[in-house]
Amino acid sequence: MTFRLALFGLIASSLVGVIYVITEPMIIESKEDARNKRLYSIAEPFLGEVKIGTPINKVLANDAPVSLNNPLPVTPINNGKLQIGAVVPFRALDGYSGTIELLLALDTERRILGVRAIDYEETLGLGDKIDVQKTDWILQFNGLRYVDLSPTAWAVTKDGGQFDSFTGATITPRAVVGALAETLAYFETYPEIVGSGK
Amino acid sequence: MKLTTVWLNGLWDRNPGLIQLLGLCPLLGVSNTIDKAIGLGLATLFVLVMSNASISLIRHLVDEAIRLPSFVLVISALTTSAELLMQAFHYPLYQSLGIFVPLIVTNCLILGRAESLARREPLLISTMDGLAQGLGFFFVLVSLGAIREWVSDIIILATLPAGAFIILGMLVALHQVIQKLLKRFRSNTKSDSKRRRVRTTGEIS
Repeated sequence: MTFRLALFGLIASSLVGVIYVITEPMIIESKEDARNKRLYSIAEPFLGEVKIGTPINKVLANDAPVSLNNPLPVTPINNGKLQIGAVVPFRALDGYSGTIELLLALDTERRILGVRAIDYEETLGLGDKIDVQKTDWILQFNGLRYVDLSPTAWAVTKDGGQFDSFTGATITPRAVVGALAETLAYFETYPEIVGSGK
Repeated sequence: MKLTTVWLNGLWDRNPGLIQLLGLCPLLGVSNTIDKAIGLGLATLFVLVMSNASISLIRHLVDEAIRLPSFVLVISALTTSAELLMQAFHYPLYQSLGIFVPLIVTNCLILGRAESLARREPLLISTMDGLAQGLGFFFVLVSLGAIREWVSDIIILATLPAGAFIILGMLVALHQVIQKLLKRFRSNTKSDSKRRRVRTTGEIS
């Protein structure tokens, strides 16, 4: 009987092994696809003739805000050889249920092309309205530059800023707007990180 | 065991979601949207059909001592395969289901069917039972997902686990009511025929 159990184990693990070998390249491809789809959806205004490059890690100076990883993976968006924008990940640490992971696409003049929440645990039906699949809330940043508004306007209306929060959920949008403002302000000081001149 | 009984049991009389209340963890965990419900429902159906079939095939080879380890081995191999296939063919779905895909291995519906049926019945019956029970579970999961997604715009509670419990409770109650009405209907027709038979024999004698 012990021998039989060992035999079952052998058969079962070879089945998993065979499927693993077959699916492994497909899984790598799907993961890459998922990453690209996110980047493409955020870089929509560029779509057409442009190409999304591979991310380059950039080491940030010590005064980098907590919303940015250090080193920061910056994904360039290219039109031919010319870089016309970049996508960077950033995060809001003070969401209602932990960290909210976001993506930010900027053009070379540091104008926002898009912001997307990609990973979060916010309450369903309340805080998850930051997701573009639920509401258009996050699209209101499109086309803005940090210098277009006064620093105090980069806040939710409840805090005297100019961005709406949702009924029943202020913490989530406050966290997102706060982290976004911090990130944008940093790139105004160090524009070369996202591949643009002063 | 007849095939019609197998199908009736899985889809209605002994529905895994509404009567046996097996697999509550995924039933409540991923029923907040209809997409997730369909995805996990299909993955569970796949594992259940394959595990019932394979366990039925090896049923003469296992004795009391290695029964449980063998079954768990079969189920976990199949779940891992399902997980790999889902990652390869529908990665976004895999991402949204998260931990619930590997957790299929602990769904008591699957081991339950292996223990109570597949280890005694031949291949055809076991496979059909896996299909029937799996579809029964699938329909409950998808209805729950559809109701929760539909109601969530009006009542926020529906998106939370508590709301899932309440809606599942209502579905169970609805099932009981329909079951009761069916039983009354059946017993009425039965007693009618009985009375008639009594009268007939009375006249003959």
